[in-house]
Amino acid sequence: MKVERPKPPLAALIYGEIVYWGVLLGSVIAIIGSTLAFLGDNFVPVSYWLSSIWQGESVYQTWEGATGSMPMGHWYLSHLSTGDALTALGLSLGVFAVVPALFLSAAILFKEGEKLYGSLALVGGVVVLMGVLGLAPMP
Amino acid sequence: MQKTKRMRKGRLWSLVTSVPELTILIILIVGGYLIMGVFSRVQGTEVLSPSAMWLIIVGCFLISTAVAVLAVIGGIGGGVIFTPIMLGFTHMDSLVIRATGLVVAMFSGLISSGPFMRSQLANLKVVFYCGVPITIGALVGSVSAIYLHQAMGAVGDGIVRLSLGILMLVVAYFLFTGGGKTEYPVPKRIDALSLRLRLNGSYWEASLGKMVDYQMVRALWGGILFILLGFMGGFFGLGGGAFLTATLNLIMAAPIKIAAACSGVLLAISNATAIWTYITYGALIAIFAAPWMLGQVVGGILGAHLLIRIRAGFVRKVLILILLASSVKLLVRGVEGTFGIHIPIL
Repeated sequence: MKVERPKPPLAALIYGEIVYWGVLLGSVIAIIGSTLAFLGDNFVPVSYWLSSIWQGESVYQTWEGATGSMPMGHWYLSHLSTGDALTALGLSLGVFAVVPALFLSAAILFKEGEKLYGSLALVGGVVVLMGVLGLAPMP
Repeated sequence: MQKTKRMRKGRLWSLVTSVPELTILIILIVGGYLIMGVFSRVQGTEVLSPSAMWLIIVGCFLISTAVAVLAVIGGIGGGVIFTPIMLGFTHMDSLVIRATGLVVAMFSGLISSGPFMRSQLANLKVVFYCGVPITIGALVGSVSAIYLHQAMGAVGDGIVRLSLGILMLVVAYFLFTGGGKTEYPVPKRIDALSLRLRLNGSYWEASLGKMVDYQMVRALWGGILFILLGFMGGFFGLGGGAFLTATLNLIMAAPIKIAAACSGVLLAISNATAIWTYITYGALIAIFAAPWMLGQVVGGILGAHLLIRIRAGFVRKVLILILLASSVKLLVRGVEGTFGIHIPIL
């Protein structure tokens, strides 16, 4: 007798697919960015980044030496024509995929009448978004 | 022998055809690294030559791929291997290591979210219920890490190394004993909250050839523990997948496969929250973190599809040795950093 396997819920599929393809897109951008960083212009030279962290300099010393101050935000968004910024965008995009995945999943759950789990997905998305927007108080 | 070789070749070919995006990604990565090596315009410094820089990038990618495969087979997050080793054996800044550690911890989980959701091994209700406390814990943990680093400097780093060394001993113990995990836990009593939350489900168990139903319990305790686990992951820059799996399996009575899959997805959500604190602070050095990310993506897919048949027992022994070695080194460096004394060993 053939056992009928239940289909996964739509909200779960949507969540998984958005994250999966978001990470792959981020990875492609990161490899293009890394390649460009070795070939062309950078916001901060690759040699400086690698030598600085290899020597064990602190994050503060590294940024002070590179730009004179800590970035405190999404510095890469205003330098997208450079290799290192494009690499940072790829990484960020891969991580950011969780946000639309949670919100879309929440929308589907609400539509299906699953108010409790829709709300939980929404709250999770809002907490991640707080991190993205840098709303947590920093020293 | 020939048959085994043919089977392996067949599995590899089926992976190429069934996951073409992985093949394209690997071609892009190999092509990119070759171009970087041949046409590099990077200038050398007093510290590193251009070829040394290229070797660091390629080496990080290869190590990351191996770590991801080991982590998938061993059933723990890659951050548990990466962060202690780097904190114990290198002189890199602890915030840079912890930020990169989150990348290592999360990307294999992120990429496996798709397959886990498709196969229903990850239960959406469990993921969203535990997702809220773990993301809150992760955000608070990552912000605390920045505060401690700012306020206490080298002593703060010493405290981090010391406490992480102790934590790694606990993880090694968990791996050694197997944590008392049970494949299909049968709860004696189901609490009202778990019933109300409908923390149950069913999945196709290939080894039994049938559907397995399960009911999870102790939703409240699980939720409280997930706040702590999120804090730990965000603070130390490691996922702590072993703890997540143990909580879901031992406390909340999820079957081990469900616990492992949910822990991977939850790890990704919690670290996706924590890592933004490090990104916006500037602690994530993208050029250094990118090869670790790419290795996790490739290794995560490879580990899940191809190498699942390797004896997990052997991998566990290797992991225990790695964890013990790094915890000893972390404890030594932690005592040195915290108390300002020099221990003339290692």
